[in-house]
Amino acid sequence: MKRKGLGFYLRIYGKILAQDLKSKMSYRADFIISTIGMIFTNIAGFISFWILFQNFPSVGGWSYYEMLFLYGFSLVSLTPVQCFFDNNWSLRMYVYSGDFIKYCFRPINLFFYYQSEVFDIKGLGQLAFGIGTLAYSWSRLGLDFTPLMLLKMIIFLLTASLIMIALQNAAAATCFWIQNSFYVLDLVTRFKDYAKYPITIFSPVFRFIFTFVMPVAFIAYYPSFVILRPDEVPLLSWLSPLIGVLFFWLSYKIWMKGAMSYSGTGS
Amino acid sequence: MNLKKYITLTRAGMIESLQFRLGTLVIIAGNLLYLIVVYFLWKAIYASAGTDTVNGMTFSDTLIYLVLATALFNFMEMYIVWEMGRSIQSGKIALDLLKPMEYRRYMFWSYSGSFVTQFFFTFLPTFIVVAAVTQGAIHLGFNLLFFVISVVMAVSINYSIDFLVGTICLYTESIWGINIMKQVIVTLLSGATIPIAFFPEPLKTIVYFLPFQSIYNAPLSILLEGHPQPLALLATLGLQLFWCITMTILSRLFWKASLRQITVNGG
Repeated sequence: MKRKGLGFYLRIYGKILAQDLKSKMSYRADFIISTIGMIFTNIAGFISFWILFQNFPSVGGWSYYEMLFLYGFSLVSLTPVQCFFDNNWSLRMYVYSGDFIKYCFRPINLFFYYQSEVFDIKGLGQLAFGIGTLAYSWSRLGLDFTPLMLLKMIIFLLTASLIMIALQNAAAATCFWIQNSFYVLDLVTRFKDYAKYPITIFSPVFRFIFTFVMPVAFIAYYPSFVILRPDEVPLLSWLSPLIGVLFFWLSYKIWMKGAMSYSGTGS
Repeated sequence: MNLKKYITLTRAGMIESLQFRLGTLVIIAGNLLYLIVVYFLWKAIYASAGTDTVNGMTFSDTLIYLVLATALFNFMEMYIVWEMGRSIQSGKIALDLLKPMEYRRYMFWSYSGSFVTQFFFTFLPTFIVVAAVTQGAIHLGFNLLFFVISVVMAVSINYSIDFLVGTICLYTESIWGINIMKQVIVTLLSGATIPIAFFPEPLKTIVYFLPFQSIYNAPLSILLEGHPQPLALLATLGLQLFWCITMTILSRLFWKASLRQITVNGG
């Protein structure tokens, strides 16, 4: 098959996105309520955070604003998975009903076509909230603001989000082998709530697990070192972009392996 | 006799909930992970605080509170809003309304089976493990009896709130957004994520005027109080009873007024 360029895929993505937004807009009330619900979730998360720190000045050597930075970082880096890969949640339904076969007949990359079908606008509220939190804690911590810092920030945010995308892809792909992957997906989604805590609070065993087995520490903890404490960056922080890309590639392979062995339901 | 139809529904619910064994296993694994995170997080918090008791709660008090709140959550979460929303969208509600039992009662009793299984498979094991691990931090006496009474009322209040919110779906036809808003408000204001004892002053007073704290905070504080003041105990239970009755009446009235709203699309 002839390889198609990036420009081609971007153009296709734009077209599919426009269709998706049009169909979403026809359920306007649902759209508005869902967006408010998402904002509620973020505000509640912030309030519980705030209540905690009303009672305690710091947690495990991390100050309030540093924790806030981690929290904002995790919110922003979790936005892409919410916006661009939300169709993973429907995968098990498509596979179960046999509708998945329709994606197999398109002359473009299967994974790309499947994920491009849904764009979740709700994630944008989270993005705005996360950026606000980051900016606030950034100024309160008195960190410098230089173009280089900004560049580092963007690179590390992007690669951090690859980790969560990879986890979700792999979790969703389990439905090609086991019928009901909802519980696996749900379990993995709960991981992201733990991303906002510094892993130094855990015992060595769980530090190891959260770094290498379930790599949630790469969603906020390791990458934010580069900005937050530039003098004591551990090696794993510099490796985190590499690890993000590696994990994404692996999850893509798993997903595609499942999709390629899919034989339909016969209807 | 009259009672037979309820027991039949309970049995059917028990059999249904035992169908998804893999799902239950994954839920238990997810809970374990959550408990580990909670344990280390609060341990670090108490270590940073420097004192053993914060706001009248020791570390083991807080741990028991949060662990049992999770167990209670699994036990009480009935996904009523989802169920109602989906049957409104699909039109199944028309069939349910034709059943020779009031809809509100029918929904409750068809879920009662999962109460029984959840109680034996998640709540009781968790309770025993926590009681064993914290070694006598849970006082085993009359407070257990009051705890059970309190939980029964909590179930009723929780169900009424769920039913009330589910009724809203008749108007909005949006499930996800409504459900997430309810979940966020209930878990935060009921003290399921952070004990209400930690709330800062104006917020604490407001929360005590709302029905949500009767769901998690009331039963758990009764359990933790080994030797309660009779008056305080009576006040807590009385407040719960008040909300129990008020919310039941409210949800009934709202449902009656809303029944006319139902539009079923086709058959």
